[in-house]
Amino acid sequence: MSVSSLQPDPSMIGGISKALFALMPNPARLFKERATRFEVLAETSNLAPYLKFLAGIVRVQADLVAELPPVQPVDAEQVARARDGAMPPIDRSAMIQSDEYRKTVQLFLDRVQDLEMPAAAAEALEAVRAADDETLAWMAGNVIGDTLPVESLAHHLFVAAATQVHAARLAALLDGNALVPVSVGVCPSCGGKPAGSMVIGVQGAEGARYACCSCCATMWNEVRVKCLACGSTKGIGYRSVEVDGGEEAVIKAEICDSCNSWSKLLYQNKNPTLEMIADDVASLGLDLLMKETDYRRAGFDPFLIGY
Amino acid sequence: MKLAGAGVAATSMGALGFSEAEAAEIAHVRPFKLATTTETRNTCPYCSVACGIIIYSKGDVRKGEKADVIHIEGDVDHPTNRGTLCPKGAALKDFVTSPTRLHYPMHRKPGSDKFERVSWDEALDRIARLMKDDRDANFLAKNEKGLEVNRWSTVGMLAASATTNETAWATFKFAKSLGMVGFDNQARV
Repeated sequence: MSVSSLQPDPSMIGGISKALFALMPNPARLFKERATRFEVLAETSNLAPYLKFLAGIVRVQADLVAELPPVQPVDAEQVARARDGAMPPIDRSAMIQSDEYRKTVQLFLDRVQDLEMPAAAAEALEAVRAADDETLAWMAGNVIGDTLPVESLAHHLFVAAATQVHAARLAALLDGNALVPVSVGVCPSCGGKPAGSMVIGVQGAEGARYACCSCCATMWNEVRVKCLACGSTKGIGYRSVEVDGGEEAVIKAEICDSCNSWSKLLYQNKNPTLEMIADDVASLGLDLLMKETDYRRAGFDPFLIGY
Repeated sequence: MKLAGAGVAATSMGALGFSEAEAAEIAHVRPFKLATTTETRNTCPYCSVACGIIIYSKGDVRKGEKADVIHIEGDVDHPTNRGTLCPKGAALKDFVTSPTRLHYPMHRKPGSDKFERVSWDEALDRIARLMKDDRDANFLAKNEKGLEVNRWSTVGMLAASATTNETAWATFKFAKSLGMVGFDNQARV
């Protein structure tokens, strides 16, 4: 039975379904909804200029999804082989060599030119557009390695955003039921790092926690109260920005005393409008407060590096 | 081959030229503090199903703080209940915070009209004494046909339910080795 169906289903009584392991991205909706969320958050945030800029970036991502010709799915044989070896079926280092990927990056770089942006961003974009194939390949390599060099974060943001479009379109063609857990904090579709995780309220998975891939936007089930960086279930605690009246926060930092890292946890079951990437950026305040602690951020988000 | 931005900025926002917005947010959060909360796994104490629960509390005992239970819900990762709870389990927080909850052993002396707090040592010593006296007085080693039965039928025992197989095994051995006949488990209630 589909999650959104309103038809009564007597078999639901008594049979509580197990939460699905993976929720595959729907790129057509994903980027549109993310852009809208960025715009909504920009209305009340100190970060409004940046959130509006990112809304523009994500709108271009959405446009590309609508315009680009269908992407070549991952080879069925490779999917089966990856499954047997508990590896992610999308080979990202092969992905960035493909013509489809390069075309996506080029088209993205053409389109974002029209966005309004500060001089530093425009300068970085110009440098990326002028970059030779070798430099572009180096940048793509950094993006899929989930480590961006600190001296060119602005340049890499554009390449990372273009990579998200291609990776999400590839992941969307995978069968989520055929994916297997790879490792803690590793995307079962593409091997990417999670930006953070969300406790969702979707029927059939109420209260389950899903890690959200920063690259291909696949969401996969991870046990709650567990460190996404090292897998430890010992020494887990939560930190959130204290608000007057003691209301429970819907965005928290899940800290781990085993590896001294933290990752962002969004309680989408309590606020269904939360979106992993948009709300990650907009909740920068939590990152700023966590920066003063002994814990370091484990989540990877190319839009929010340096905290 | 390496690209370098115009200014030295260690963050995405700074590198892209949004330092002003970043600074505004830094100034905005400065007076705020971090609230500490914990989420702890446990099993519901009511029946033998032993549903998984997550206990939310404010404050972190591990960090030397006082912690208060603020919410209890079903553990969706637990294979037994997959996040669901029965009405009793769903009301567990009130069980924890109930003003009538027993926190320590209490004793109402014969003839008294009120309960008084006693230490665990006193309570366990008294229970053991009374059990021994009753068993010595009423233990039946052989029945009227001379058959060995080793029965102690004047005291019964009701065991708790949120136990592992190993605890249940030890509880059973304890009760049956004393000869207790009236022995049951809260799990069946």
